[in-house]
Amino acid sequence: MLPWNYGFHFGAATYIFMGAFYTVLLVVSITVLNALWRTRRGLREGKVEDIRWHSDFHDLSAADRSCRHVLTGEFASRECPHAFDCRECKTHAKLIAVHPPVHAAVSPDADEAELFGMSFPLDRMYHRGHTWARPEADGTMTVGLDDLGARLLGTPDSVELPEPGSRVQVSGTAFRLHKREADVRVLSPVDGEVVETGGVDRGFYLRVKPLSGTIDMRHLLCDSEVKPWLMRELERLQLALSMEGASVPSLADGGVPVSDIAAAYPRTNWDAVCGEMFLEP
Amino acid sequence: MVREMAKEMDKEFITRGVRRCSTPRFLLWLAPWVAMLLFGAYSAGLCLVKGLNQTNMDNRYAFGLWIFVDLTIIALGAGAFFTGFLLYILKFKELRAVINSAVVIGLVCYSGAMAALMVDVGQPLRAWFTFWYPNVHSMLTEVTFCISCYLTVLLIEYLPIVLKNRKLRDIPSFLVFEFEMHKLIYVLAGVGTFLSFFHQGSLGGLYGVLRGRPFAFREGFFVWPSTFFLFIISAAAVGPSFLIFTTWIVEKITGKRLVKDRVFTLLARISGILLSVYVLAKTVDTLIWINRTSPALGFTASQYYDWKPFGTWILFVEIVLCGLVPALILLTPRLRSRRAWLIPAAALACCGVALNRYVQTVQTLALPTLSFDKFLSYTPSWQEVGTFLGVLAYGVLVYSFSFRYFQIFPQERELRNEVRPQHEEEPVLAGRF
Repeated sequence: MLPWNYGFHFGAATYIFMGAFYTVLLVVSITVLNALWRTRRGLREGKVEDIRWHSDFHDLSAADRSCRHVLTGEFASRECPHAFDCRECKTHAKLIAVHPPVHAAVSPDADEAELFGMSFPLDRMYHRGHTWARPEADGTMTVGLDDLGARLLGTPDSVELPEPGSRVQVSGTAFRLHKREADVRVLSPVDGEVVETGGVDRGFYLRVKPLSGTIDMRHLLCDSEVKPWLMRELERLQLALSMEGASVPSLADGGVPVSDIAAAYPRTNWDAVCGEMFLEP
Repeated sequence: MVREMAKEMDKEFITRGVRRCSTPRFLLWLAPWVAMLLFGAYSAGLCLVKGLNQTNMDNRYAFGLWIFVDLTIIALGAGAFFTGFLLYILKFKELRAVINSAVVIGLVCYSGAMAALMVDVGQPLRAWFTFWYPNVHSMLTEVTFCISCYLTVLLIEYLPIVLKNRKLRDIPSFLVFEFEMHKLIYVLAGVGTFLSFFHQGSLGGLYGVLRGRPFAFREGFFVWPSTFFLFIISAAAVGPSFLIFTTWIVEKITGKRLVKDRVFTLLARISGILLSVYVLAKTVDTLIWINRTSPALGFTASQYYDWKPFGTWILFVEIVLCGLVPALILLTPRLRSRRAWLIPAAALACCGVALNRYVQTVQTLALPTLSFDKFLSYTPSWQEVGTFLGVLAYGVLVYSFSFRYFQIFPQERELRNEVRPQHEEEPVLAGRF
């Protein structure tokens, strides 16, 4: 069977068997080498955060991957094919052209919009990982945690912010927060370079300068999309709490989330709840 | 304080949102299996150092417990290649819920079989001779090549499961490699299917070509005896059944619901269809063997069953009780939707394939073929049993570690507090049957 083997002779069976065997070895080797080469390229091109998000998105339950247009009732059901990056989505572009989000039906004062007892000002746009981005007059963007995200974590035990000068990208890690056993990776709503870091007391966590001069924010939720999304998020929170064995007391009208939800559930696995709510399964 | 720390020692490695027992309890679970593994290692060591005189096999009875175990676990491990084939090639997306478990089971089965074979063949330092100086006239060569290749494929398929561990994926290169590997996994699934088809068949062919053993000898197509095809179909048929059975066992041991009922139903339906094809093919093959093949070699089939305990009951149990009966249960929607029917049916199907492999190996060698031959009996020595127990313990340990630290059942989290529905609709994808 092998040329150096005693009794070896070429024949049809030899060609077929050896051909099949070496083809298999070749295919397996090429597959692994291809994966290694792609890995090297991915690492060199700084795609780690992008890949981390896509991997996480893939692991989300089907309900959590639903398209933003399901939230607004335009689709009965549809899974987002672009990992919440609507900038690539042709369907989104068409739908937005036909039905642009209606501005602020929830409150006459756009800066002080209150939804379900929480503050969701409409001067900013929201990422589905509970962060917001607000354009500033100097062309930068401030990035912070939305009110539900802030209430989930209360006062964090510690905050890990990126160094000024470092880059963040949409749905990549913006910063990390720790609360009890929870280690939360907060997703960035925008691409850009960090020019300043804030904190819990300063009302924002990052100030980001766009890399290309302008920032495309079509992937973020705004105006009339925020309320139905938030309604869905509160349902998800109830589900996440009940999955962790926590009873979820609420008033007949649902009530208002307390300012430090973590403190209200001292025995609940907060890491799991935060993983669910901050889209890090 | 120390107790609390010990309890949560490995918490960071456990998948977010799933519940696992405390570290001391896990160690307690592992202890007897580790002891069994050590006993197995000692037994295998004796066989490797002192030789096969430690076993009750001899030149006349060259296939014993190990070969029976090898053939059985390789058939049961076929769930790995067949589930991969159904998911990645035929796009049965429902099976995503069990693919990781199937890969772990496949890896355990194939690596366990390879370990047992290494002890059986002996001279492990010369293992490479098999590849460098292969015996061109032996079907075992094809089996060795295919199993080695497929074990490599399974190891590569297992790698992304390991690298998806919560702590390991914090390392960027692991995260990216796992992601890229996952994108190419369909290639490996295709290669695995190709290899599995051939080595399952070759294992069956090994016996079918034994012209000197009329009990096992079969006619066939071109160079392949009928057992070549029967082994392939039977392995593909019981792979999903074994997956059902192992998932159910893990559910019982851990007290958790791990996959949706519709996944069980889909696996049962696939297993039922293939099992009925197998039973039909096996019946036709047996009739041809009884009426043509065996008489042509100078034996009436009834002669084989005169030697107790191998009476005709064994044929009935193999084809009817462990073949036809589970096939009918798995094909009946009302029965397969109930665990009380589904699990025994899956277990029966697995027993059926084990019995088939037992008949092919042990019964074949026990029966006399020459006029001066005697009916042989064989009882494995404690070293043989020890090695087998070692393989079993190894399998349990690998599966236990995988279940604790890796995401073996992706639906586990969402099923945690869900009450099992009385009746769940069958998956739409299964409609293609």
